[in-house]
Amino acid sequence: MQRNDKVQKAMIRYGFVVVMAVMIAIFGIAQPVFLTWSNMFSILLGVTVYAILALGETFPLVINGMDLSIGATSALSVMIASYSMVVLRLSGVWAFVFCMALGALIGLCNGLLIVKVKIPDLLTTLGMMFLVQGVQLIPSGGRSIGNGMVLPNGETASGVFDPGFKFLGQGRFFGLIPVPVLFMFLIAVIVFIVLSLTRWGRTFYAIGGNSEAARLAGANVNRYRIMAYVISGSIAAFAGVILAARIGRGDVSSGGTLLMDAVGSALIGYAVLGVQKPNPFGTIVGAIFLGVLMNGLTMLNLPYYWQDFIKGCVLVAALAFTFGLSKKKK
Amino acid sequence: MNGEAIVKVEGVGKSFGATRALDGVSCEFRRGEITALVGANGAGKSTLIKIICGYYEDYEGDIMVAGNRARFQSTKDAYKNGIQTVHQSINQGVVQNMTVAENLALEYLLSDECRFFVDNGEILARARAIAEPMGLGDMDLGRKVEDLSQSERQLLVIARAIASDPALLILDEPTSSISERETEILFEKLAMLRDRGVAILYVSHRLHEITRIADRVYAMRDGRISSMLEKPFHVKQIVTAMVGTVKEKLDRACGAASCAEPSLELRDLVVEEGNRPLNLTVRRGEVLGITGLIGAGKTELAEVLFGIRKPVSGSVLIDGVERSFDSIRDAIDAGVHLVPEDRANNAVVNDFSIRHNITVPFLRDYSSFGMMRRGRERKRAEELVSSIGVKCSGESADIDSLSGGNQQKVVVARWLVRDFKVLILDEPFQGVDIKSRRDIGEYIRANTGAGSAIVLATDLDEIIEIADRIVVMNSGMIAGEQGADAIDRDLLLHWTSQRPEELVQERA
Repeated sequence: MQRNDKVQKAMIRYGFVVVMAVMIAIFGIAQPVFLTWSNMFSILLGVTVYAILALGETFPLVINGMDLSIGATSALSVMIASYSMVVLRLSGVWAFVFCMALGALIGLCNGLLIVKVKIPDLLTTLGMMFLVQGVQLIPSGGRSIGNGMVLPNGETASGVFDPGFKFLGQGRFFGLIPVPVLFMFLIAVIVFIVLSLTRWGRTFYAIGGNSEAARLAGANVNRYRIMAYVISGSIAAFAGVILAARIGRGDVSSGGTLLMDAVGSALIGYAVLGVQKPNPFGTIVGAIFLGVLMNGLTMLNLPYYWQDFIKGCVLVAALAFTFGLSKKKK
Repeated sequence: MNGEAIVKVEGVGKSFGATRALDGVSCEFRRGEITALVGANGAGKSTLIKIICGYYEDYEGDIMVAGNRARFQSTKDAYKNGIQTVHQSINQGVVQNMTVAENLALEYLLSDECRFFVDNGEILARARAIAEPMGLGDMDLGRKVEDLSQSERQLLVIARAIASDPALLILDEPTSSISERETEILFEKLAMLRDRGVAILYVSHRLHEITRIADRVYAMRDGRISSMLEKPFHVKQIVTAMVGTVKEKLDRACGAASCAEPSLELRDLVVEEGNRPLNLTVRRGEVLGITGLIGAGKTELAEVLFGIRKPVSGSVLIDGVERSFDSIRDAIDAGVHLVPEDRANNAVVNDFSIRHNITVPFLRDYSSFGMMRRGRERKRAEELVSSIGVKCSGESADIDSLSGGNQQKVVVARWLVRDFKVLILDEPFQGVDIKSRRDIGEYIRANTGAGSAIVLATDLDEIIEIADRIVVMNSGMIAGEQGADAIDRDLLLHWTSQRPEELVQERA
C-alpha cells in the first residue's frame, strides 16, 4: 500500500520528464541529425510563438478562466504590423505600439465582458476569437499584405518592413541565439517572477483556489480577473509581433493552429513535475515537448497530415495523466 | 421488533496511507432507537458513516444488516438494503436548477417508472405526498431550489430521505444550518419515525440536541469508540467521553471591560430599509456575543461593518472616529477583520499551504515593491500556528491535510496577522470540534489587545462560552442584552423567539 503510494507519487512528479527524455533518446538514435545544435535551435525557434502565447494564457488559466481569442489576437497583430509598415509606411516603433495597444484592448474587452456582463469566459473569448479573426481581414480586403500588393482602391503598397522590427523575429545574438528564443525565455522568467514571487501572483493563485475567500480577504477579484485577460491579450499581441517580424509579411492564414498549440502547451505544463496547476516553467517545457515531438516525427518522415492527430493524442494523454492520477490520490 | 439491532458494525477498521482513521469499531443501531454519534473533528465519524453507507468498499471487519453479513459495493447497494443517508453538505443532494417538486420526486424522475414524457401532475402529487408529512405543505413546490434558503434545502433533503421508508436513517449534522424552529419540526419527525420502528443514526456537534432526542450515544475518539452512554445523559459526561478532560470555566476578566474606552460604536445605524436603528457600544478588550436566529440581522450587520453593504443611515465609530467603507479592503485597512461563516466556501484556499492561507489578506505587509518576503512571511506564520495551536506537520503543510477544527484555527490565525481594532467572527464554531472550539475561544479572549471581538452565532451555548456580554438580535433589532455574570437562559431564549410585533411593543 505505502510502496504503491510512493511509486505513484514519483510517477506524478517525474513521469513526464522521463517520457520526454526517452522520446529525445529514441529520436536521437533513429536520426542522429536530430541531436545537433542547429536542430535544437530550430526546434526552439519553432516553438517560440506559441510558447509565448501559452505563457500569456497561463494568467487566465490560473484564475480558472480560459482565453480562446489569443490565436486570433496574434494573427491580428501580424496584419496590423504589416499594414502599418507596408501600407501606411509608418515606422517599426509605431507598428509595435499599435499591436500592443490592440492586444491590450482586446484583453480589456474580454475582461469587461466576463466580469461586468457576466458572460462565461469560454463563450466571451470564443465570440471575441471570431470577431478578431473577422477584423483582421478588413483593412487589406481579405488579402495578404506584402510590398507591391494592390490595395482595394487600386494603388500599390510601397512600404517595407522596418529592419529594426524584423530584427525582433530574425536577428541572432552572437550569431547563434535567435532573438525570439531569448524573448521566450525572458517572458518565461518574468511570468515566473510575477506569479511565484510577487504578492500579485499570490493573489492570482488565491483567486484561482477560492475566489470568494480571496474577495473576503480584501482582494479586488474583478480587477485581477480583468488584468488576467489584458495580460494574455498583450502577450498574444507580442507573439504576433515576433511572428510578423519572422515571416516579414502579413499572411492572412498566420493564425493557423497557434491557439491549439498554445493551449496544449499550457495544459501539458500541468503535468510537468506534477504541480497540477498552471505554471510558466511547465508551460515552456510543454511547448518544447510539442516542438520536439513534431520535429522528431517529421525527421522520421511522418506525413504532415498526421501531426494534429498526434498532438491531440499527447494532450489528452497528458491531461489524463495529470487529473486521473492526482484524483486517485485522495 | 423494536430494540432489535438492524445494522451491526463489527470490528471495523480503515487506514488512509499511514493514518489509522478507524480501529476496531463495533456498534449497533436498533429499530425504534435514535443513536447519536459524537466526537471531535477527525475522530473518525465521517469515515465510519461512509463505510456504513457504502462509500468505501475496502475496510476491515464486517457490517451486518438484519443478521446477514453485507459488503456494499456502492452507496446504491446500501440504499437497497434500507440505509439512507443525508450528508452534511446538502447542496450535493439537491439539483439547484430544478423545482422543489422535481427534487422531492427525483427518485421517481430517474427511475424506469417515469415514462418518456414527464407527467407533471404525477410529479406534483408525489412531491406533495413527500412534503406534507414533513410539515413542508406550505412550501411552494414550483420554486427553484436555487432560490431556497439553506435550511429549506436541508428540510427538503431530509423529507426525501424519510419518504423512502428506510430501515436505518443516517443524518450527518442535520441541524448545522437550520433555525431552532425548524429543528423542532425535525425532532418531531424523528420521534415519529422512531416510533414507527426506524433506526436513526444522528451525528451532531450540538450536545444539547443529542441529550434531548437520543436513546443512546456512542462517543468516538481517535478512531475508536471511547464509550457508549445510555439515558439519562449529561452533557458533561458526553464531553468527557469525547475530549477526555473538561475545563470547568474559562477565565474571564469581567468588569474591567465596562470602563474601558469604546472600540466600536453604532449610532442609530439602520442596516436595512424599514429596520429600527441600532445603538451599541463595544469596549476595548471586550468579547461581545451576538445571537439570534437565521434572518435576525446578524450577518447583515457584519456586512455593514466589513464594507460589503452600505447602511441606510446612521454611523459607525471605530475608536471614536466615524468610518464608512467603500470596499472590504477599506474595512481591513481600518482594522476591521472578519472571519466569515462557512469556512470551506468562504475562507479556505484549498491548494495553498497553511502559511499561504494565513497571509492572504496582508500580502502587502510581507512584500516590498511587490516581491514577497518569504522569510518574514514564514516566521509570522510559524508564530501564529504555534501560538493558536494548529495540529499540523508544519506551517508549509497543505491546508487540506488538516481536520476541520484545525482549518478553522488557521482561518482565525489569518485575521490575527495584523493587530485588529474590531474582529468579527461569523459562526466560527460551525463544524468545529469542542477542543478546537475551546482553543479558539481562549485564544481570542487572550488576544483582543486594544481592540474588541464580536462573535456571531445562533448556538446559545457557543455564545455563552465565549462572550463577556450577549446581545440578542431579532428581526433586525436588538431585543436585549445580558452580561456574562448574569446569564438567564430563559430570557435569552425568549428574546430570540419573540415575534417582531411583540418586540416592537416591548421596546416602545
